[in-house]
Amino acid sequence: MSEAALPVTLAPPAAPRGLPALVVFAGVWLLLMLGIALLADVVSPYGYTALDLRNRLSPPIGFGGVAPHPLGTDELGRDVLSRLVYSIRMSLLIAFGATIIGAVIGTTLGFLAAHCRGVVDQVVLALVDFSASLPFLILALSVLAFFGNSLTLFVCLLGLHAWERYARIARGLAVSAGAQGYAAAVRQLGASPWRVYGRHVLPNIASTLIVSMTLAFPEIILLESGLSFLGLGVQPPETSLGSMVGYGREYLTRAPWILLSPAAVIVLTTFSVSVLGDWLRDRLDPTLR
Amino acid sequence: MLRFLGFRLLRAAVTIVLVVSFAFLVLRLSGDPAQIIMGADAPPEAVAAFRQAWGLEEPLYVQYLRYFGAILRGDLGRSMRDGREAITLVAERIPATLALTVPALLIKLCIGIPAGITAALHRNSLIDRAVMVLAVAGFTVPSFVLGLLLVLVFAVQLGWLPSGGQDSWRHAILPIVTMGVGGAAVLARFTRSAMLEVLGQPYIRTASAKGVPWRAVVWGHALPNAAIPTVTIIGFMVGSLIAGAVVVESVFSWPGVGRLLVVAVANRDLAVVQCILLLVAATMVTANLVVDLLYGALDPRLRNAVRGA
Repeated sequence: MSEAALPVTLAPPAAPRGLPALVVFAGVWLLLMLGIALLADVVSPYGYTALDLRNRLSPPIGFGGVAPHPLGTDELGRDVLSRLVYSIRMSLLIAFGATIIGAVIGTTLGFLAAHCRGVVDQVVLALVDFSASLPFLILALSVLAFFGNSLTLFVCLLGLHAWERYARIARGLAVSAGAQGYAAAVRQLGASPWRVYGRHVLPNIASTLIVSMTLAFPEIILLESGLSFLGLGVQPPETSLGSMVGYGREYLTRAPWILLSPAAVIVLTTFSVSVLGDWLRDRLDPTLR
Repeated sequence: MLRFLGFRLLRAAVTIVLVVSFAFLVLRLSGDPAQIIMGADAPPEAVAAFRQAWGLEEPLYVQYLRYFGAILRGDLGRSMRDGREAITLVAERIPATLALTVPALLIKLCIGIPAGITAALHRNSLIDRAVMVLAVAGFTVPSFVLGLLLVLVFAVQLGWLPSGGQDSWRHAILPIVTMGVGGAAVLARFTRSAMLEVLGQPYIRTASAKGVPWRAVVWGHALPNAAIPTVTIIGFMVGSLIAGAVVVESVFSWPGVGRLLVVAVANRDLAVVQCILLLVAATMVTANLVVDLLYGALDPRLRNAVRGA
């Protein structure tokens, strides 16, 4: 290219070597969250529904609180730290489950569209258009209105979030992969479509799909917490980060700590996943900028 | 241009048909409407009579066509709560929602776009860093957290503004700021990356090299080209005005369409939910249509690209 010969004055300075501090922080935070989610039963000092009626609305340590409840208690005397631990587990579980469901559905439909073309392709594309034309929150709310709520339905519903993005990516990449030698070669050797797409095309486009998943993950955490905040997501006695904020809202003036700690966890977690996702995207996929 | 318009209109119509079908589908999948409306312990004869009266005995495609016809006539059913027409209930709430969302949209545009452009023009400066940090924060802080924090500071601690309700213009300030700030951050991020992309193009260098003043390069060459991706995201924002209001209206107990939707979902008031679903989809489709037409105006290449289709 002749362009490369010209001195480029607007070029960005070279990225610093090694891991940026922010990425390290994000990684440590996410590992911490993951550890808490996995070891919730060990880590949490009390059960998430255990009452301590002597210490109701006790503030956190440092604001006049008592030692048994480092982050304070709510108006039933339930330990905020324990509830936070179980909420982290619930929110992460939902977000992981929903992200994987979305990626699997989207990628499968994308491959299907690329493989069959014709009518199937058109139907998938119409569904993609439909999904993109309706804000997901509204879609989720209407499905919840019609079908009521259960945890399984809720996870599946959130799983539909962003499926159209995976479908679009998988379809586009599979179509271009089909035109490349390797897919044709395996097909000529007699491989079934399952084998062609599963063993050969998928690994080639996996990095792009993983980047999309890191983008969808924080969005799902935000959606889950938003819906739970509105009282339409995770139902009591189960608790999630969003439902803790929604519950704590009633005590905003008297006991803001009920709401502040889950809010901080939501913000830090989505922030960390976004930072890591951006970093991964720069590392894995130079074409997607 | 006419052909371009026709193609876009067709796509918009297909999307609306899909949304209506979706509403019909979930309505039918969610159970027997007769049973739902009459209640679980209604006598079987009454349920049968109801099914007869509402045409539920007919084949599904007849019901579907009838449903479609009713929507075309503007008949969206009645609220199960108070028996009023769903469309009237929703229409009553629209002004309250617009009173929040339109000023919020103006905030997004007036802060987000200049911030994004400034950040891109002074890349890696202090301003750029600040804008980017705020932009990431704007994305990661959910609106209900931001709203509640604003209430905690400005209503509870300082006592300057009311925390909820709709009695005076002062009640609108916190919800508008809550909606506007997050959107401004997203818009700033988009505008910045669109600007950076354009500034790296050869034609910008050519224009500078032949001696066009930098100001003119930015205004004449960079901004119009960076406008295309930015218009997309603005269109999406206009299209999701109602959706964006759902959470914020709930935080501030603001009696708009969003609040109505949450209450209707909690009560399983299907007609109202359906009506809002259609309203949102129609808004979104219209916004997308306008964006597509704007593309055509901004970039003749896109207009011509459709000719082949």
